[in-house]
Amino acid sequence: MIPMLIGISLISFFIMHLAPGDITASESAFNPKASEESRQKLRALYNLDKPLITQYGLWLKRIVKLDFGNSFASHQRPVLWETKDDKGNVTKGMIQDALPITLMINLIGLLIIFVLSIFLGVVSAVNQNRWPDRLITVIVFIGFAIPGFWLALLLMYWTGVTHSWLPISGLHSAGYEKMGQIAQYLDLFKHLILPVFVSSLGGLASISLYVRNGMLDVLQQEFITTARAKGLTENKVVYGHALRNTLLPLITIVGLSIPGLIGGSVIGESIFAISGMGKLFFDAVLMRDFPVVMGILTIGSVLTLFGNLIADIGYAWADPRIRRGITN
Amino acid sequence: MHGQIPELGEALQIKILTQNPLALSGFIIIVAVLFIAIFAPWLSPYDPNYIDIHSILLPPSVSHFMGTDGLGRDVFSRMLYGSRISLLVGIVAVGIATVIGTFLGAIAGFYRGYTDSIIMRFVDTMLSIPTFFLILAVIAFLTPSIWNIMIVIGLTSWMGVTRLVRAEFLSLRNREYILAAEAMGASDFRLISKHLLPNSLTPIIVTSVLGIASAVLTESGLSFLGLGVQAPQSSWGNILTDGKEYIQFAWWLSLFPGLAILITVLGYNLLGEGLRDLLDPKNKNQKK
Repeated sequence: MIPMLIGISLISFFIMHLAPGDITASESAFNPKASEESRQKLRALYNLDKPLITQYGLWLKRIVKLDFGNSFASHQRPVLWETKDDKGNVTKGMIQDALPITLMINLIGLLIIFVLSIFLGVVSAVNQNRWPDRLITVIVFIGFAIPGFWLALLLMYWTGVTHSWLPISGLHSAGYEKMGQIAQYLDLFKHLILPVFVSSLGGLASISLYVRNGMLDVLQQEFITTARAKGLTENKVVYGHALRNTLLPLITIVGLSIPGLIGGSVIGESIFAISGMGKLFFDAVLMRDFPVVMGILTIGSVLTLFGNLIADIGYAWADPRIRRGITN
Repeated sequence: MHGQIPELGEALQIKILTQNPLALSGFIIIVAVLFIAIFAPWLSPYDPNYIDIHSILLPPSVSHFMGTDGLGRDVFSRMLYGSRISLLVGIVAVGIATVIGTFLGAIAGFYRGYTDSIIMRFVDTMLSIPTFFLILAVIAFLTPSIWNIMIVIGLTSWMGVTRLVRAEFLSLRNREYILAAEAMGASDFRLISKHLLPNSLTPIIVTSVLGIASAVLTESGLSFLGLGVQAPQSSWGNILTDGKEYIQFAWWLSLFPGLAILITVLGYNLLGEGLRDLLDPKNKNQKK
């Protein structure tokens, strides 16, 4: 895992240096009086005058201590975590604010994906080539192909503007602080419906297709015939024996889908004006706010590695063959 | 065992395609899009970039099938030309990804050992970076253009192909016919290009077709965020972005480009999954 962390940091770092010009170019562009001398001073201030490899070393030394620096934007907030200044004022970190929001949306999304796609996949497999299977397959293929931002736009217009059933942007209504506890949850819930729906659609399609094919494979195997021959009810065969064996590889698939979910949050969060990681990243990219961009790339990748690790552990825990150290 | 399974060339023949409704419908959609893209200049009734201030935001009618946009340009013509962009981006991006992926996967699977570990660790690293973030950052820093988009999508989506080719190579590497060829003194290059690669072609093609689908979606997403194909060139993504502003009184600007993306992506997915079914030895055995 350590070499991969180094690889991630290398990629995140060098992406930044693809950009022609540096931060001093844009700063002096806004200020025509800026002389070449002052640009050099700025460069020295940000260590931009040193060779790339030294800059990388300096950056790496700081991120090992989880110090991702401060944003280039005028508020100069810390990128990762809150800091206290001499007077005891706490400034919250940008990722600290944004990450829980994105995590919340994606975790709820994952939960829905899991429950629904297992249901759809099983129904599809049990009724192979009959109308429920056909119908689900059509829905799955369309869900796979539908551009999320387009659907988001149409839904937003239809449920929010024409009918005003649902709020169309942000996570909280005006006056959120003054609501009671229950009203707050209800408000949050209403704001989450559309973003969660849009973010889980793609995953729903691919995972239910996966469950369907996995179930079809497992249902062909001999232990299923044995279970049926023992006279078990069809429900027990399907849910007790077949489903459990199908779900194992699913753990890995979920681990692998994490970067897609995090990456996918850019479009959803931009449309619904939710200030999570995706929107933070998009805004930072447009403003060339390098510390934020590098910070999010690194944190996002580390989260993915972490997710994969959890998936591996979960797999080992769920599979009795690995748990008891039996090979095949 | 292999006697019953159509080879790839055969599978693309209409007769065999008709056995699989998925593959057939996908194939028809893709051929239609290809046709539209190639003949766009002859099919489109107007110049896609001609600005006509007298006919702004007209709803769909006989003279403008899909209405006109905020600058009075004919949406139908812009849609036809937009198909070229999505086709080009899909094919070039996936072409780049397939070449890189096949090359690295072949080397990893053929030489094994250290080479393999280094390449596969690189693959794991790339897979753990949220791809869309990476694409977004690179495009924004390099100034968006259609060529940058194709290259960047290609450079960030080869990992699946690498894993696939490596797995195929590892399983083929110790087959008798490979060992025989090696014993007869075939060079590494000959072994890879004449013996191993042709036998791994089917899964590579299936993955590539599915890859085009996601490349098309990525391009339209980037265009939607304003980092894709730049005006005046039309792509389905940027027609949609322009239309977003007018959604309250010009639904046609948002509806048609989204539908076009949906149908095209659906086509590639259907064709890919259908081909996978057709060419998969396991499926043939089940049907018997």
